[in-house]
Amino acid sequence: MIAAEPMLAATRLRGEMADIDVTGLVKRYGEITAVNGVSFTVEKGEIFGMLGPNGAGKTTTLEIIEGLRTPDAGQVRVLGTDVLAHPGTVKERIGVQLQATALPEFTKVREAIDLFAALFRRARPTDEVIEEFNLEEKANAYTNNLSGGQMQRLSIALALINDPDLVFLDEPTTGLDPQARLNIWEVVEGVRKRGKTVVLTTHYMEEAERLCDRVAVIDRGRIVALDTPRHLIAEYAPGTTVEFALVPGLDADTLRGLPGVERVVVDGRVSISTRTPESVLHALLDPQAAWATSGSDGGGEAENTIRDLMVRHGTLEDVFLNLTGRSLRE
Amino acid sequence: MKAFRALALNQVRASVRNRTALIFTLGLAVLFMVIFGLLFGGNGISVSFDAVNNDHSAQSDAYLKTLGAIDGVTLHTKTHAAAFADLKDDSVTAVLVVPEGFGAAVARQGPPQQVQIYQSSAASSGAAISDDVVAQVTAAFAGGGSPSVSLAPPQAAQVNQVTAMDYMLPSMIAYIILFSGVNYIAFGLVEMRVGQILRRFRATPVRAGTILSAQVVGGGLIVLLQILVLVLMGVWVFGARNYGSWLLVIPPILLGTAAFVGIGFLITSIAKTTDAARAMAAMVTFPLMFLSGLFFPMTGLPEVVQVIARILPLAWASDALHQVMNNGAGFSAITTDCLVMAAWAVGAIALATWRFRWD
Repeated sequence: MIAAEPMLAATRLRGEMADIDVTGLVKRYGEITAVNGVSFTVEKGEIFGMLGPNGAGKTTTLEIIEGLRTPDAGQVRVLGTDVLAHPGTVKERIGVQLQATALPEFTKVREAIDLFAALFRRARPTDEVIEEFNLEEKANAYTNNLSGGQMQRLSIALALINDPDLVFLDEPTTGLDPQARLNIWEVVEGVRKRGKTVVLTTHYMEEAERLCDRVAVIDRGRIVALDTPRHLIAEYAPGTTVEFALVPGLDADTLRGLPGVERVVVDGRVSISTRTPESVLHALLDPQAAWATSGSDGGGEAENTIRDLMVRHGTLEDVFLNLTGRSLRE
Repeated sequence: MKAFRALALNQVRASVRNRTALIFTLGLAVLFMVIFGLLFGGNGISVSFDAVNNDHSAQSDAYLKTLGAIDGVTLHTKTHAAAFADLKDDSVTAVLVVPEGFGAAVARQGPPQQVQIYQSSAASSGAAISDDVVAQVTAAFAGGGSPSVSLAPPQAAQVNQVTAMDYMLPSMIAYIILFSGVNYIAFGLVEMRVGQILRRFRATPVRAGTILSAQVVGGGLIVLLQILVLVLMGVWVFGARNYGSWLLVIPPILLGTAAFVGIGFLITSIAKTTDAARAMAAMVTFPLMFLSGLFFPMTGLPEVVQVIARILPLAWASDALHQVMNNGAGFSAITTDCLVMAAWAVGAIALATWRFRWD
């Protein structure tokens, strides 16, 4: 496992202060340690992703940085200011989208934007924000009548109402249909184009791969890897992945003995990393192999053949699988 | 200030749009007025007294005659035993005992005396009205407490003939103070907390105090708005009258609202869920409604219950409103009521602010 620190030092630009600087963050809830010694920096203008399954500690980490929770240990500097000491100063300059979009009842879209605008010293004109997020048609609709995608756009619009330097998006596309998700991705890319720094959490690897400049892979309250998606894949899921349904009589040790196999993860399905997929496939599909013949009655089709076979390039999903031995979505 | 105004406006606007809650509170208050108006007749009270005259002076005769002359009042002078027998079988609302020395006291030639009312155990709002009528006639005979005033023989026309509607209007004002104060604040804040709206606000620079005070002021405005609608309906539709000053109605309304807003606020610091808040609010509001003299006088209640009811602020709000609107009392008569409500408001809000939780 590679520590995050050395890579960070390499990516940090000389003389420029990071937008977020987190050191040794710890948060406990009774017996459970939700965040267990997390350290990282987020540079100006980047989209920084936090990838991990539910309960990995992404939201808790985010909410500590946003000044919503107090850590048990560690330091957080946001835009050069100590969040724990001056939460008000920081909140004036950041934009926050919480995981659950919560708005007051019986409020219309325009009114919600006006309301949040009034909470900041400096805010963008409501009409400009409505236009930017394509909410003109729904400006006079009650917020509880919006679709999931519209609600999410409003939620991001509210996070940007104070023209913040730094925006936090907590699972911005969870629960959305593919079309709405694509739409939100375009919105986030638009935010980056305006020079904002974005920190987002997600448990969708496609989202992290498409949007993020750098990704912190988080598991059980720790950062297990941090780099660009491309580097993470090259490091932890190189080459090709061969996947298939688990076959009785075929265990991980047998697979590790096959030619060309680099890594084997059994998690419902079998997932093999290799640089020579041809030789792995050849061995797997051999009709004389021990597992292929073990269940058959001699003649006829073998019972225990490889099914649901899939051969593909490595993804962040494989990175997570290889780092933790578990799948992102369980 | 900008944030406070926006938050309070949002609270008022959302409450007005929440028709169900609005109609539930205001509608129930109007319904109570209609029911009690039908029960007791819109045009006057109908109560019957037995009087025991232990004085037999010209003054005591005049006193009883004045009472008997009031529309809707039936009064028979009887012996002590006969009067209490009537009361026991519920054939009269109350028994009035005029003490010996009443005439001398009225003529200011003897020590002050008290007329005693005995009500049947089946207390009703008719009994409360009879209380008020007798109190007013007696007050008229006592000469208003100023020694220099000569005792004029009272005329029936000058006596406030408190109708059921007249009695119900201040009761229903107190009812709205109770329900809206508790419900708008308690449910509003708990829903904001459970729905994570408070967390969302907390992610902005707005201060906790700003959110809370906007909620309280916004909720208070809604209560006042409902009272205004109720009073206008009471006066114009139901013909209820206010025998006192409208100006004097304001302090008990404001202080009562503040006290119950405070209690609602206190519930939010204890209740974890909306359902819990609802149950707690019901536990506070329903017993209070029946124990605080809104529908029948507290004098009919067991002593222990009375003591408990008098600790809680609704009895004081109800008393102050009835004193002013039915008896035409001045500020001195409601000073204690106002002080108790103010103490409740300050205490509850301070405690709730201290115990407040964001999530």
